[in-house]
Amino acid sequence: MEIAQILLNTMVRAAELSLLAIGLTMVFDILKFANFAHTDYAVLGALFAYVFNRILGLNLFLAIILAAFVTGWVGILIDQAIFKRLRKMGAKPVTLMITSMGTAIALRNLMRLIWSSHAKTYAIPLQKPLEILGARITPLQIGIIVVGLLSMISFHLLLHRTTFGKALRAISDNSDLANACAIDSEKMIKWMWFLASAYGVIGGSMIAMEHLLYPRLGFDVIIPVFCATILGGIGNPYGAMLGALTLAFAENTVLALDLAPLINLGGLFEVGSIQISTGYKPAISFMILIIVLLFKPTGILRKK
Amino acid sequence: MPIINFIIYLLTMIGIYSLLAMSLNFQVGFTGLINFGQVAFFCIGAYTSSLLVVNAGVPVVVAFLAAMALSGIFGYIMSIPTKSLKSDYWAIATLASGEIVRLVALNEAWLTAGPFGVMGIPQILKDLIPKDAYPVFYLLFVIACIIIVYCFLGMLTNSPFGRNLKAIRDEEELCLSLGKDTQKLKLQAMIVAGMVGGLAGSLFAFYIQFISPENFKPIETFLMWAMIIVGGRGNFKGAIIGAVVIQLFNVSTRFLGNYVPLGSDSMAALRMMIIGILIILFLLYRPEGLIKEKKKIYD
Repeated sequence: MEIAQILLNTMVRAAELSLLAIGLTMVFDILKFANFAHTDYAVLGALFAYVFNRILGLNLFLAIILAAFVTGWVGILIDQAIFKRLRKMGAKPVTLMITSMGTAIALRNLMRLIWSSHAKTYAIPLQKPLEILGARITPLQIGIIVVGLLSMISFHLLLHRTTFGKALRAISDNSDLANACAIDSEKMIKWMWFLASAYGVIGGSMIAMEHLLYPRLGFDVIIPVFCATILGGIGNPYGAMLGALTLAFAENTVLALDLAPLINLGGLFEVGSIQISTGYKPAISFMILIIVLLFKPTGILRKK
Repeated sequence: MPIINFIIYLLTMIGIYSLLAMSLNFQVGFTGLINFGQVAFFCIGAYTSSLLVVNAGVPVVVAFLAAMALSGIFGYIMSIPTKSLKSDYWAIATLASGEIVRLVALNEAWLTAGPFGVMGIPQILKDLIPKDAYPVFYLLFVIACIIIVYCFLGMLTNSPFGRNLKAIRDEEELCLSLGKDTQKLKLQAMIVAGMVGGLAGSLFAFYIQFISPENFKPIETFLMWAMIIVGGRGNFKGAIIGAVVIQLFNVSTRFLGNYVPLGSDSMAALRMMIIGILIILFLLYRPEGLIKEKKKIYD
């Protein structure tokens, strides 16, 4: 594959993954547990967007914004019903993590019950790919990259220019001190869930737009999203973006690589071209995840 | 008598899942290792023993032992990347390992027959047992395995080794400060758990006589998790009770499906949704499970 094509595909995938990864990393940063239901919230939102778009006939862009808003509230609701109670009971982060897995299973199967397992698509007309430097890219993919970038910038501004963002960073640095400074941490946690879920929905809808939408999608992307989060240094949103970019690049290169020179060992064995079977495509992020855990579990960017 | 056959089938499946739940309980309840890829042991055990017997003609006893050994080795390998890391990393790394195992079973068709699965797995001691008595014989065989594993794990957890594992679960840093090699202990615990899981996989393969990657989806892991959450962690009675409750629910709703006006996919979704909700409710309202761990106090 051409280098330009690999780079373009990397940017699209990175935009999708990083929107999912920032929410996951934010929840981990503030509440200290890995939320296994995170990607399922995103798929729930993508399905809401499907309803708004296909059944109510709303413009896709508006449908996704509305779905992100609704799912943000779902995130808050689930926190109030489940995670907040566990926090009040003084449960360990491990218990919260296991509960989030239970939540993920319940939510995923609820979606399956309501929308069935069949794959769905949004109302997007077939698009003719454009040629840029010899690489093919559809207007949709350009849109994904642009929306991804805009969302990152808005996330950065939210974290650094608003009182809410400052309070959130204060809780992340030292929650006791933040409480002593009269920051209402429960209120901040509430809006953090809103934000994490809503950004996730944008990422999830973008994946659904490019490929297909089905209730199990959340499970299919959970390991890549975790991989990006850990790769970038868990708890660090900028790391999550960088991690997503690195993972996306690796995913797009590994399948295009010819491994024959590795096996031939300078003429020792006579092997033609060897490529990793596409059946292993999902395994790439799993392998990268395990390699990162082996050699650099703190990730590329350490928390400040 | 179909109803009796059905009950024997149900009991056998409960037995096989009890072994898996005991293995998971040994990791989670005793050592505090969060394994979200428990199904990998099940899968490796099932494939190893059945491929050895079907393709290589190895005696069944040897195949069972090899399956246990390979699952144990996989338990060791699986925990190398995370041995020094916290539970969140364990959870995600084991989830990934479990999926890798399933993808290998699905893609390496030269070895595993890929999506078509392994067929024609023979019945053990088929010639010696009358055909009508065979299901009962197999059930007794599974029960015998449970008793052996139950006694073995019980002995192990009451030994100094087991007390070290509990110490890791409760206070890893304290354990380290007493000069215990916690990483080594965790790896050893995973080997033991892997062997038990491999045994369960072999028993499953030779009972069902046909296995495919479909049998080893991640959802199986969460069934096992539901078992230990409902039954209670830190004791093996809890694991067995949990396996009884969850399998009864799981199999009987499949049976009831004929009388409910829902498609099979919706029925499966409803079933798993209820299991997810059950996990949440237990963790919220009865976190210790149906059977509470008896904590011994040493003076």
